[in-house]
Amino acid sequence: MNFDLDDEQRDLAAAARDFLSGAAAPGDARAALDDGAPVRPGRAALVESGFATITVPEDAGGGGGSVLDLAVVAEQAGRVLAGPSLVTYARAAVLFAGDGDRLAALADGSLSLAVVDGGPTLDAAGAERFLALRGDDVVLAAGRATVRDAIDPTRGLGNVELDTNDLQVVAADARSRWQHAERVGRVVLAAEGLGAASRALEIGVEYAQQRLAFGRAIGSYQAVKHSLVDVYVQVEQLRSLVWWAAWAADQAPDELPLAAAAAKAASATTLEQAAETLVQVHGGIGFTWEHDAHLFWRRAKVDRFLLGDDVDAYDEVARLAVAQVSA
Amino acid sequence: MDFDDTPDEAAWRSQVRAFLQEHRSELGERTGRRELDDQVARRRQALLYDGGLVGVTWPTEAGGRGGTPMQQAIVDQEMARAGVPGLINLIGIGMCGPTVIHHGSEDQRARYLQRLLRAEDVWCQLFSEPASGSDLAALRTKAVRTEDGSWRISGQKVWTTLAHVADYGILLTRTDPDVAKHRGLTMFVVDMKAPGVTVRPLRQMSGSADFNEVFFDDVVVPDSERLGDVGDGWRVALTTLMSERLSLGGGGTEIGASAASVIEHVAAHLDALPEGRQALARQQLGRSYVGALANRYTGYRLLSQISKGEMPGPEASAGKLSGTQVARDLADLAVRVLGDDAAYAATADGSSGWQELQAVLPGMAIAGGTNEVLRNIIGERVLGLPAEPRADKGVTFKESLA
Repeated sequence: MNFDLDDEQRDLAAAARDFLSGAAAPGDARAALDDGAPVRPGRAALVESGFATITVPEDAGGGGGSVLDLAVVAEQAGRVLAGPSLVTYARAAVLFAGDGDRLAALADGSLSLAVVDGGPTLDAAGAERFLALRGDDVVLAAGRATVRDAIDPTRGLGNVELDTNDLQVVAADARSRWQHAERVGRVVLAAEGLGAASRALEIGVEYAQQRLAFGRAIGSYQAVKHSLVDVYVQVEQLRSLVWWAAWAADQAPDELPLAAAAAKAASATTLEQAAETLVQVHGGIGFTWEHDAHLFWRRAKVDRFLLGDDVDAYDEVARLAVAQVSA
Repeated sequence: MDFDDTPDEAAWRSQVRAFLQEHRSELGERTGRRELDDQVARRRQALLYDGGLVGVTWPTEAGGRGGTPMQQAIVDQEMARAGVPGLINLIGIGMCGPTVIHHGSEDQRARYLQRLLRAEDVWCQLFSEPASGSDLAALRTKAVRTEDGSWRISGQKVWTTLAHVADYGILLTRTDPDVAKHRGLTMFVVDMKAPGVTVRPLRQMSGSADFNEVFFDDVVVPDSERLGDVGDGWRVALTTLMSERLSLGGGGTEIGASAASVIEHVAAHLDALPEGRQALARQQLGRSYVGALANRYTGYRLLSQISKGEMPGPEASAGKLSGTQVARDLADLAVRVLGDDAAYAATADGSSGWQELQAVLPGMAIAGGTNEVLRNIIGERVLGLPAEPRADKGVTFKESLA
């Protein structure tokens, strides 16, 4: 049994953290809310770093890495609330499998994409082409994105109307590929949630160590300490699910549906609790505009609805579990 | 990353599995029966010991195999898989024995350890008292040295699992009330059949009686039964408690009913529920099963650490916290889907397993470290949050009572 990251993945995480902590910060989300500043690191820098297209094969200019590699990077992206989401790149890499030209365009940044599920579309802002499922075909189309007032601007949500006159079939009869891409997307989304939740926990712990009330640090009070511990326990549990789900995406496709749904659901629940706790631990400063707490909270309030909401994901876990014993 | 055994682990697993298969019928079944037949349980443990499956990590000179924690984890997994009941001397093996190994005399080690592993003697741990549970160091049971060098012990212990069948116990006492509470403690091995020891079973909310209160009235204990130095009992007790942490709630083993058995049970009842209730039951199942999966894979991370020869730190306490919560959520759902029968102690056809389980589980969040104590441990030693102030700091035990 070796259910742990290897040294290469730890190095990858460290390199991703180096890059991402310089290229983005939670405060960028506030600037985007204030005056429409661009989301950071943004598409160009993300693609140029090579981290976004880790799962694109090397001969197409990508990193030739695994979903687990990408999940390790996505955790780091989540810590700084980076945008656009690595989910978009992960799904596109699956949907373009075997299509060297489009993979190359994804990897060199000439193709700016969003993947459309119906409803609010992740990274619709700034996308020039849209991947969607029509019937059983995966298509790449032009379209128009209507970006509306954002709760979390880093997610670039918008409603997308496809231009059916400008549409190419990427893969015919490819519903199962679409589902696989969606599940890989859920894994990466959960990994971003893991990063955001664990960073929110760290900020909360730091504050609880130094803020004094009634002559002692508030982190010494059980009411504060225990709520942070509950977040810690959940974060570590989420980490286990994210690793399992990423491993399943790479090595055990039979386990992926359950693992991806479990990771997605746990990520939604964990990030919400981490962000709510972050606000509460800070007291008055915690619900000001100038503090970063609400930026994590905004991420939580939006992410829970992406790639199916948490209620759907829990339901799917239950249905899969019941189907397993009935089979 | 992989979930496979190393070649050595695989060889050990097949050896364990073969032994369990060969002796399957002798080893008995896990049943919901309330009363413990300790003679049967002792014979089972002796059989397993003779097969090399007990005391895997204990040193060979203590009667163990000198094996690795990973080998022990494999035994635990295979015993659970085969449905073999747990060992009667689990507390002895996990806590009392390691304390004797670390702090006992050569003579004590020779007399006690192998008999403990074969369950020729059953052991209990005499720590908690009516006035000191989580605050263990506030205990009052008094040991006074007599002129011939032996000790006279008076006081009361409580929540003592297996005391009613135990042959020996490790007993933490106060030998000096005039120093700070952690400093005046001394540990002994006590003969549970000695004159002056009275054991009274305590009935739990589930109706069963697995634990006891134990009274000591001028019980004489020879000085040769002391574990560690006089006044060093707290350090000795920490050995016990550290060993306890490693034996509880780690490695991905499940607390309460297995998630698989709950899913099977829920699946059998789901269709009979009204549609709206089906959706709610699936939400509850989904949430608790995600928790069970998260515990399982977090346990695998712990096992991976152990497999590499690293010892888990205080973060391992998280497994008991989340494990007991998931067990309670699963049991709650299992009872709910019984419909009208859920309000009765047993179903119409007489099965009471789920109702009994829901009455057992609240105690699991208290025994072996309460949720609150575990959260303090994680908060202070993992997250680095400051400790709680202590009102009895800097005073002697006697002053703290005033």
